[in-house]
Amino acid sequence: MRATPPEGTTPSAAVQVMGVSKRYGDRQAVDDVSLEIRRGEFFGLLGPNGAGKSTLVEIMEGLRRADSGSVALFGESPWPRNTTLLPRLGVQTQSSAFFVRQTAHEHLRTVAALFGASRTAVDATLDSVGLTEHRDIQVESLSGGQRQRLAIASALVHGPELIFLDEPTAALDPQARRALWEVLRGLKAEGRTIVYTTHHLDEAEALCDRIAIIVDGSIAVTDSPHNLVDASEAPSRLMLPLGRLDEQQAAAIPGVDRVTVQGGSLVLETRTSGRVLSAVDRLTGLDGVQTRSASLEDVYLDLTARLARARQTPGGHAETTEQQA
Amino acid sequence: MSAYTALTAAGYRAQVRDRTTLFFTFAFPLLFLVVFGLIFRGQDVEQSGLSYISYTAAGVLSWGVANAAVFGIAFTLMQWRTDDILRLIRMSPAPLSAVIGSRYALALVVGLVQSLLFVGVAMLPLFGLEPASGWPLLIPVMTLGITTFLLLGVIIGSFANTPESVAAVANFLMLPMAFLSGSFFPMDAMPSWLQKVSLVMPLRYLNDAVSHALTGRGDSSDVVIGCAGLAVFALVLGAVAIRTFRWTKAS
Repeated sequence: MRATPPEGTTPSAAVQVMGVSKRYGDRQAVDDVSLEIRRGEFFGLLGPNGAGKSTLVEIMEGLRRADSGSVALFGESPWPRNTTLLPRLGVQTQSSAFFVRQTAHEHLRTVAALFGASRTAVDATLDSVGLTEHRDIQVESLSGGQRQRLAIASALVHGPELIFLDEPTAALDPQARRALWEVLRGLKAEGRTIVYTTHHLDEAEALCDRIAIIVDGSIAVTDSPHNLVDASEAPSRLMLPLGRLDEQQAAAIPGVDRVTVQGGSLVLETRTSGRVLSAVDRLTGLDGVQTRSASLEDVYLDLTARLARARQTPGGHAETTEQQA
Repeated sequence: MSAYTALTAAGYRAQVRDRTTLFFTFAFPLLFLVVFGLIFRGQDVEQSGLSYISYTAAGVLSWGVANAAVFGIAFTLMQWRTDDILRLIRMSPAPLSAVIGSRYALALVVGLVQSLLFVGVAMLPLFGLEPASGWPLLIPVMTLGITTFLLLGVIIGSFANTPESVAAVANFLMLPMAFLSGSFFPMDAMPSWLQKVSLVMPLRYLNDAVSHALTGRGDSSDVVIGCAGLAVFALVLGAVAIRTFRWTKAS
């Protein structure tokens, strides 16, 4: 499956996945997935654990061979090991993938040498992930967050055009997470393509141009976070200070789907927030009322739950697959 | 800096910073030298008329060097695969030859230091080893021996997924070989069919060649045949090693 891009290929595609399937025993890990990621795009891959994200990413990276279908990165096949393509890719490893008994700087220097990258790139990359002051600490003594940042630096040190990041913020504290977001936005601004696997929906919403949600080995939906939230049927929430209305009164307002008490607020779930807001205004006034519109997380939970239900019903089809780009 | 140089430098730093492993790598053959030396001090081996030390020194040295070569790379490859370091290298353009080559360079240095230390101690009056005039032959012999056993280690390191299985497989191969190919135990004292069995063991060839080079036992044909035998094993093991090498746990 050496790459000759099929006709109609847009030259701007960084990643092209065409009808890729992979089966392990009797489990279909990836089921006929096709997608295209443009150059310079920040692309999120979301999905429940075991949905096939990692397998799909490893097939894209050329680490695994697809049973059928093909992958092209910049028009070239990554499988079998393609050493002309590899310098253009950056792959984040798990944060134990360090050369033992090396300092952070020595480790990154070794990784840089594998790619033929310069010494100045090592210092600059270490600095960009905020590890300059820890450069002489042995990797075994770094904290979880520092190790994770070093793993990210290992994927970036050779200035790759296409970067695969797998849950890069999992072990980071909120400050480090935001700092990394800035690093990633900087990479995007430089025109690099990023494929981002994450469970943090807020992160996908804040960073990604487009996301794909994978359920049971296939892509349920591909779109921008904004469009997904817009098109979703996930409810918005109105939060009223307790004591303003009782639960029966609130439930009686037309358009309110559900009423709960959470964290000191009376929470009204609705899909017609304008109408409900004016009703609340008439009843008690809007002082202290907070509104939360549906987030990507709501959309995601709603979608994955509906798909799981659809798959349990024989013959049931997920309506959202029509949205597939 | 090339991938080979960088991996060798990182491997060197990792090795010297692990003092315990470093110490025992060099102390292990010496331990056997001391134990056997004390047990058989002053005794001659029947028939040959050579002192026991000249018998045992060559055998223990070749076993110690072979053992370090096998275990060193087998553990490293298993650990690198478990820790995804091989995956990291796999995703870089660095060739496999840079990975194996860097470990080979380190194994040669370990073998050299082991040999110098071992011969130095064996020459102390307590043991009284007198190196034969052909001792410089040890250099090509040991290089070939390390090559062969390193390639055996590459194969073990590709199959084993845990430190326990590396130790189990490597010991399973190396310990019987130590007894059956004359490292710990004079070949002359074994039944002739066992002596024939030893011909399929690479350690037998290393032993014979080291014996002649270091202690003058046998004749120079032992060195020639020993080197030829090791070269054949190196080719076969090398071919298997290339076919069985795995970058990641699954593919």
